[in-house]
Amino acid sequence: MSKQERRELQEKQRAAKEVAKAQPAKGAKAANKPSQASQDNQSSKKLSKAAEPSTPSLGASASAKSLNATSASTSQHNLTGTEAFGLRIFSHFGAIKHPSGPAKGDIHPAIVRLGRQFAEFAITGANARCIATLTAFQSVIQDYSTPPNTTLSRHLTTHLSHQINHLVGARPMSVSMANAIKHIKVEITNSDIDMPEQNAKDELCHKIDLYIRDRIIVADKVIRTTALRKIQDGDTILTYARSSVVEKVLLYAHSKGREFSVIVVDSRPMLEGKGLLSKLSSAGIRCTYILLPALPSIIDEVNIVFVGAHSMLSNGAVFSRAGTAMVAMMAQERSIPFVVCCETYKYSEGIHLDSFTKNELAPLSVSIPAASSEEVQSEPNLQILNPLYDLTPPTNITAVVTEVGVIPPSSVSSLPFALGRQFI
Amino acid sequence: MDSQVDNLIWKLRRRQIVGSRLTAIETLLVLRQYITKAKFTTIDQLIQKIKGIGARLVAAQPTEPVVGNIVRKVLHHIREEYKTAANKPGSSIQSSAFSLRNFVVSGQPRHQATLQKTEARDHLLRSRSDWHHDNHAESLKPVIMEAIQDIFDELETVYESVSKSAKDHIHSDEIILTIGKSRTVESFLKAAAHTRKFTVIVAETAPSYGGKSTAKALASAGISTFLVPDSSIYALMSRVNKVILGAHAVLAQGGIFAVSGSLMVATAARAHSTPVVVCTGQFKLTPLWNLNNEYGSADIENPDAVLGFDEGSLVDKVDVVNPYYDYVKPELIDVLITNDGDHPPSSVYRLIKEAYDDADHEL
Repeated sequence: MSKQERRELQEKQRAAKEVAKAQPAKGAKAANKPSQASQDNQSSKKLSKAAEPSTPSLGASASAKSLNATSASTSQHNLTGTEAFGLRIFSHFGAIKHPSGPAKGDIHPAIVRLGRQFAEFAITGANARCIATLTAFQSVIQDYSTPPNTTLSRHLTTHLSHQINHLVGARPMSVSMANAIKHIKVEITNSDIDMPEQNAKDELCHKIDLYIRDRIIVADKVIRTTALRKIQDGDTILTYARSSVVEKVLLYAHSKGREFSVIVVDSRPMLEGKGLLSKLSSAGIRCTYILLPALPSIIDEVNIVFVGAHSMLSNGAVFSRAGTAMVAMMAQERSIPFVVCCETYKYSEGIHLDSFTKNELAPLSVSIPAASSEEVQSEPNLQILNPLYDLTPPTNITAVVTEVGVIPPSSVSSLPFALGRQFI
Repeated sequence: MDSQVDNLIWKLRRRQIVGSRLTAIETLLVLRQYITKAKFTTIDQLIQKIKGIGARLVAAQPTEPVVGNIVRKVLHHIREEYKTAANKPGSSIQSSAFSLRNFVVSGQPRHQATLQKTEARDHLLRSRSDWHHDNHAESLKPVIMEAIQDIFDELETVYESVSKSAKDHIHSDEIILTIGKSRTVESFLKAAAHTRKFTVIVAETAPSYGGKSTAKALASAGISTFLVPDSSIYALMSRVNKVILGAHAVLAQGGIFAVSGSLMVATAARAHSTPVVVCTGQFKLTPLWNLNNEYGSADIENPDAVLGFDEGSLVDKVDVVNPYYDYVKPELIDVLITNDGDHPPSSVYRLIKEAYDDADHEL
């Protein structure tokens, strides 16, 4: 090793040390622990990224990363025994996300706004989030101009990736978004290099429009006509929380003159059923509103259950708003048909066995406070958890209504094949 | 005297007294007062009078079966005391050894005392005239008061007695799920926490949100506690080792009335093969059978907690149902932990036979 090399190495190490020193000071400012951990990670990542250009060798950033890792692990060890055990069970749900700060880097204003809306749960629901994301991407694409010495088909994907990362920082990505984004990226890489930039952008936006039309809007129309055949006069239909598809199905059936009543089951943390309730009752449908624990008392009156889904897994299990699995279980117990309305673009490859492998915690700020005045502050031994999703096993599902027809859960795995691989 | 009974009746009607133990204690206090002042020449008179009060109290609040249980228990003790007093001189009839006939008739092979009782009752039913010789009926009062004091002590210490075996049921690092607000469960878990380290997940149990105060109480006792919404019970059940429920009443077939939500928890537990443990005092054992009302609730509460008037015009358009209790079938329960040992739900009918007299089932 020459003298110069050695000096370079020393400088890198010094830089890494400074990085390590800077971050605890930053972290200490954060008020509560989970956010501190996440901020630590974020800030250290940013710092190590910032350090990279000035010291463009692998050694420095690697050492910085290892330092970060040790500091993160020590901060976890600081917790007392019981707490650590409690946290360990749910640690993989991910720290509760807080609305991310001012956007860093080249983030389009539409995406920044969308990120805030996601973080504040102003836009929820797989379909709504997907449509909002795609529409925002259209403006991103329209405002994009290819930098010199590269092509749109190569560079736009990386540009979009930054936007996506920003959105994921606000709230974990939904399966619907992931599928749609995958589709767009394929379209971008497939776009013709020789096409003028504006034309290429217009064509991409048009393709996004087509995607929204075909996979969501038209799909919902097909689903509501298909589901209509399952609704008879005099039926009592039960639904849980609020699904945009189920809402369309019920309103459509009502407009077609079917006489039925609806039981809306609801639960904290989101109490989304209230929205559905007011929509349905103002349309003139007879509604009953109950909270989830009351379900067994009323389920004997039900003829059919309709729910929506966040995603379908390939074994036929359905990933949906927390509580859906419980409704499915009770319906199965009483031999009541449990029907899931779900567009095929929500198909997700892979199989989860329980609701623990993948889930999301609702931040406390968005969960609707309970009606009772008594409020629970976080004590050292008391933690409040609001999982957002649960997994309904395929055995409790009677049928899945998709735009390609009514299928049993066991046939969900054949959807990609039936649609042609590229469409999922 | 009657004013005291009326007072309790009104309190029960207005739901000013809720909760099994409190209701039990109040009922017992009224009965004790009544018996102290009561004038009676035969024990039969006393029994009939207490039955009359019992019937009025039960009618006042049919959703609190504990009222009837306490009345039955008091009657049972009165009969017991009378029998022991009456049989002292001529206990020759009771020499009968075990026979299948005795077993079938009495169903109580355990102790002679109860056997005596039923034998004596048969005897008594056959010849009513026997009753007239009891000029010592009034003299039984002190013994009866003592027996009532025993019931009282049992009620006072019921939480401690149920919690005795807590550490045998909960082991280290377990994850326990419970719902609602039950003092019995709370003290059970706290007792277990003296020797074991475990985690409790409390479902907040809408719309009463009793789970919140349970979670608070457990956390302040140093137990690592998670408060979750009811919707996530199924999601979390795959990690839960045991479900512990409190009961409002235990019926003769072994099923329980418990806070609404219990049935879902128990069903979810069964779907995951998680054991369901019910903690209850024996005063909640009720000689009633729930045969045709498997899923209905015993009581419907004010819907305001579910959908309040702050929702505006929505309230006019929709029906809101707020059932207060669930009936949990015996098939969903693995064990009942009582202040007198652990029992499977299938043997509750036997406990009931031991605790109350058959003649008092109808008040």
